[in-house]
Amino acid sequence: MTGMSKETKVDPLITKRLCEIVGDKNATDMKHVRYAYSYDLSFVKPKLPDYVVMPTEVEQIQEVMKFANEEKIPVIPYTAGTNIGGLCIPEQGGILLDLKRMNKIIRIDEESHYAILEPGVSHAQFASALAKYNLRWSWPVGPPSASTSSNAICHGIGGLSGRYGLNSEEITSMEVVLPTGELVRVGSCAIQEDAWHSCLPLPRVDGLFTGWLGTTGVITKIGLRVHPTPPILKVFTTSADTLGDMGAYLRNLGNYEICDDLTGVSWWLSQVPIPYPYKPKPEEAPEWISFATTFSWTEKEKEAREEIWKMVMDEEIKKGSSLKETVYPEEALKARTQLPSQIVGSTKNYTKQAGAGISWPGTFTPLNKWEPVYDEWKKILIDRNLSPAVRVTNYRGVHYGMLRAMIPFPKKEPASVENARQAIVDCLKVDLDNGGIPYKPPVDFGIEINKRAQQGYVELLKKIKLMLDPNDIMNTDKLAL
Amino acid sequence: MKWNIPSLEELEDVVWKCTACGNCKTTYNFGPPPTYGEICPSGVEFGFEGYMASKGKISFARGILDGQLEWTPEFVDAIYKCTVCGGCQNQCELDHKPFIPEIIEAMRRKAVEDGVGPMPTQKVIAQSMRSFNNPYQGPRRVRTDWTRPFKKAKQPIKNIMKEDAPILYYVGCTGAFNLPVRNLPVATASIFRKLGLDFGILGENEICCGSTAMRLGDVDEFKRVAETNMKIFKDLHDNHGVETIITSCAGCYRAIKKDYTLSENYEEYLGDIKIIHTTDFLYKYFKEDKLKFTKEVPWKVTYHDPCHTGRHLLEYSIDEDGSQQWKGSYLGKSEDNCLYDIPREMLKAIPGIEFNEMERIRNNSYCCGGGGGVMTGYGDWAAKNAGIRIQEGMDTGADQMVSICPFCHYNLNEGAKRIKSDMKLYDLVELIDMAL
Repeated sequence: MTGMSKETKVDPLITKRLCEIVGDKNATDMKHVRYAYSYDLSFVKPKLPDYVVMPTEVEQIQEVMKFANEEKIPVIPYTAGTNIGGLCIPEQGGILLDLKRMNKIIRIDEESHYAILEPGVSHAQFASALAKYNLRWSWPVGPPSASTSSNAICHGIGGLSGRYGLNSEEITSMEVVLPTGELVRVGSCAIQEDAWHSCLPLPRVDGLFTGWLGTTGVITKIGLRVHPTPPILKVFTTSADTLGDMGAYLRNLGNYEICDDLTGVSWWLSQVPIPYPYKPKPEEAPEWISFATTFSWTEKEKEAREEIWKMVMDEEIKKGSSLKETVYPEEALKARTQLPSQIVGSTKNYTKQAGAGISWPGTFTPLNKWEPVYDEWKKILIDRNLSPAVRVTNYRGVHYGMLRAMIPFPKKEPASVENARQAIVDCLKVDLDNGGIPYKPPVDFGIEINKRAQQGYVELLKKIKLMLDPNDIMNTDKLAL
Repeated sequence: MKWNIPSLEELEDVVWKCTACGNCKTTYNFGPPPTYGEICPSGVEFGFEGYMASKGKISFARGILDGQLEWTPEFVDAIYKCTVCGGCQNQCELDHKPFIPEIIEAMRRKAVEDGVGPMPTQKVIAQSMRSFNNPYQGPRRVRTDWTRPFKKAKQPIKNIMKEDAPILYYVGCTGAFNLPVRNLPVATASIFRKLGLDFGILGENEICCGSTAMRLGDVDEFKRVAETNMKIFKDLHDNHGVETIITSCAGCYRAIKKDYTLSENYEEYLGDIKIIHTTDFLYKYFKEDKLKFTKEVPWKVTYHDPCHTGRHLLEYSIDEDGSQQWKGSYLGKSEDNCLYDIPREMLKAIPGIEFNEMERIRNNSYCCGGGGGVMTGYGDWAAKNAGIRIQEGMDTGADQMVSICPFCHYNLNEGAKRIKSDMKLYDLVELIDMAL
């Protein structure tokens, strides 16, 4: 048997201390264990953590953080590793803090409509528990095994975002271990231990931990607002020849705020799976298809929504739009309305044909910038033989919009991975220059964001980061500051 | 004989089809209502991502293939800490789905080939196979101990090598050598007698099917016994009138029905013989009203789907030439061979039975924890995992659990003892025999 070459950074004394904190079975520096955490679905280059730790209690996390802070060892929080931005791939080695065993649903308050979760709770687990109370959450198009709290704190989106906004806007309270090991609470639970219903009207310090990509603390409990599930589902599906026509329709319908989800997808994204490599759209097929998901409590309510939708359709068609009522491909529609789903997102319909890899320029882009950005994205992607599998979605009516392209690629071929990476970064530059902002950004995106950022903003981020994490140990370098 | 058993290197293309999305880590169905459950015994016990479902096991395979991971004792241990139950496989939706157990076993084959596998306790099995032709270190003569009640009643069971019969009852090593499971072949033979069937056994000449060796990656030993069996079966067909081979063991059934087809000579040797699990075989008599349950069995029971008679028998369709989707794409699966409804239908038909389902059933059944060499290699963990399954059974309100696999039978009973449960595992044939 040949020996595994030891990583130079691995120190058995550190492993020993971590074992003392979480138990021998829950801490290791063995390479085969670390290797499984070194890569994800994205184009981000694999990098190994030096240690992996699986805490089961908040106090253990505090001890790990205190130790890591003293020793200046990077710590990477990890729940399911299903993001597609390399967010849990260690930039500087260190301790990978796998939180999957902290997976209790502490409370579902069926009267006040909120839940308290530990970080390891998956969408599948949460969906199953909420259904018993006829409650729901804004499920993203990710694997059911993905973490609900990680999605929320990273500004993830879901099937109710058209109505309620980002999942981070549904956070009602948090318990956080700071990089220095102190335990803090934000929101109502900070004032009364058992009150987890609201971050408001207190100062919004939850913002210190949302959108920071795990660089400011470890969320150990999170309160989330949940919603009742009306029984009647009606999905309005339309097609249009151009994003101009589709965007006009989405803005018009979005004004009425009647949809839980209001999304348009390019022909390439409506295919299951996304074609790889690029293949031209059949000439007769419309380039854009949309689904407007509505839920109603009564038939009359549904009919009222239908009336509004018809009115919008009539208005757009009178303007000369190519808009048509259409049939959305059945499996694709199921994937959009039956969430969480095993067949959407990073699993079947996105990556299947290319083989293993998926990344994105995923952005919040004003609705009126969708069309010019898409035109440039399409050119960039087709030039690189990649399908322009693009999605546009309204959030909170028409307040802001999401624009993203899902780019599959074969992970086995380094040249193909690099081709996709370059295409994605080029697309991102176009979007940033049009006022878009990427979400859950890999380091490559962070670099482009910070190049364009106002200096005062960057300095503020650095000051906050220094205040919370004086030794820069939390997911070090992930923000590319 | 020529075998098409792929090496890990030959599976490299499919290894790279895994996205690491983690779909495989839990069972989930939209419903409504949505249902969720843990599915990976190894992930439940060990937790780290590498141990978790196919996402983890494929990371090990990927690490070997890209030269990042070399064998260490701990790494070898990790690749054997998997029950190869296929629970993760059932969740996956990608093109490598049909190959997931194959990838795991190919790693083990590589470990054996490189001289580092299997684990020391499992090596005892390999040695026993070579010395005794069974994994239990059981002398040949013990193989027929279970037949004593029949001899005593002056109704000995035919030795098929001496007396021709159209049916070979292939008992399997667990039923023959594992004392707590020995009532399984007794009940099976008793039912056959009550049905008036003309059957025989190989007796002391029966040798292991090779399932355990295959699961551990000992491909040479698997081939040795498989080839011997195929020759014996062909001889029985050609010269002793055997048309059907019946087995009560899920592991034997899976091996003969599936692993043996990896031989290019399968059709030549076994093409004319029907291989069937006891449950499936009895179902025909049940439907023809020849299996009449006349006695009450007033028990509250639940049913555990063994991996080897369930999802291991799923048939996957693959676009081999790219004419339907693209070359090598996974198109779909068929449950036609899986024994899900048949045992339940017969069980429910037994007078007095009150039947309660567990949450994780059929394709999403939670493995007992005994498969893939785990019961031998990691007995304590196997029993601990079985305790989890027993608890799930108890939570239904059932008093007893029924299944159709001697491995599950033994391990689940160990699990019940471990959690101090009164629940016992019975094979379906035991209940059928009681009801006849």
